Amino acid sequence: MVERNNKVMVIPCSGIGKAFGTIGREAAHIVVDETRPQATDTVCLSALVMGDEETRIRVQGKACITIDGCPIGCARKNVELAGGTVARALRVVDTYKEHHELKPKAVTELDDAGRQLAQILAQQIADAVDRIQEAE
Amino acid sequence: MVDLPKRKVGIISCSGEELPEGTVSRLATRLVLERLRQEQTVTLCLPLFLAGGKEERAFAKFYPTIAVDGCPKLCAAKATAAYSAEPAARIVVSEIAARYPELKPESRRRLGPGGTELAYKVAEEIAARVDEILARPAGASLVRLGQDTPAEAAPEAACSCQGGGVPSKVVQVAGSPVAILALEPIMAQVLTHKDLTDESLRDKLMQMVKVYNSVPPEQEPEYAEALWREFVAYRTGNGMR
Repeated sequence: MVERNNKVMVIPCSGIGKAFGTIGREAAHIVVDETRPQATDTVCLSALVMGDEETRIRVQGKACITIDGCPIGCARKNVELAGGTVARALRVVDTYKEHHELKPKAVTELDDAGRQLAQILAQQIADAVDRIQEAE
Repeated sequence: MVDLPKRKVGIISCSGEELPEGTVSRLATRLVLERLRQEQTVTLCLPLFLAGGKEERAFAKFYPTIAVDGCPKLCAAKATAAYSAEPAARIVVSEIAARYPELKPESRRRLGPGGTELAYKVAEEIAARVDEILARPAGASLVRLGQDTPAEAAPEAACSCQGGGVPSKVVQVAGSPVAILALEPIMAQVLTHKDLTDESLRDKLMQMVKVYNSVPPEQEPEYAEALWREFVAYRTGNGMR
């Protein structure tokens, strides 16, 4: 596989209070590290928002997919605030609405339901990455 | 019955997505919250904090916080200081990791045994900081000013429990000026209880002030009177009652 120069940035909120934050983070890592490593990358959301120059340059001009645990949309808002281009804003809560049978309970270490939701969300992220790159 | 807010420590983890140390910061924070100091700690969602979450920022102004960062960029500590108040303690995972070179996380997604053990080490350090912070008397920050000291001289960063950033307000207690820590945000919070009677509001005001300030028992009636006078003025100034 050829590594692309113009990688899609996958940036989760990593919300720490609820399982959805952990699921978004897990899904982002699945895509960036396993299913689309040549096509994607991630940066620390907090570093981006705090104005870290190196992080800002890595995001500049690249399409970002934000993953938010809850409807507040902190990842999307923060990436926009930092000047990033949000090509697609995904929400874990939407994935959960499509799969009510998977009710995650654990936050620190995902349970089976949480891991399954993360896998489903990871596939949705990967599909979004493919569509973005096809359109470029 | 007015409930007294318990003094807790807020833990703000960077949760950096890019580095294994970010995952360690996150796991360590959760371990403290769930296992080591369940009753004494709460967490604050850093992305919400950064996006302008009012409750998160207000909490960090009120309560002492510990920033847990994965790397020397110190995003959590800087964000807390920039948007709320200087954290009472800072923990940097990479610094702790340097002391345990045998404990290596496998990846940012899977810490593995080494990374998990490192997270426990970090969690223990966080818990130790929590104990230190809560052992400090809230009243250590109270500053009694001399009769001649102008009201404008109230200290901005006199709070030893939070390390600074929480403003004080000078109040005349029985003719003597006393700096009360965090009085403005306390009054703002009490003002939100629109359903309470004046008597309950008065009790709540005093109880909250006592969480962050030392009130001499023998002077409690004078403090209560002075605080209520300030609150009524504050309430009127905000166009209520």
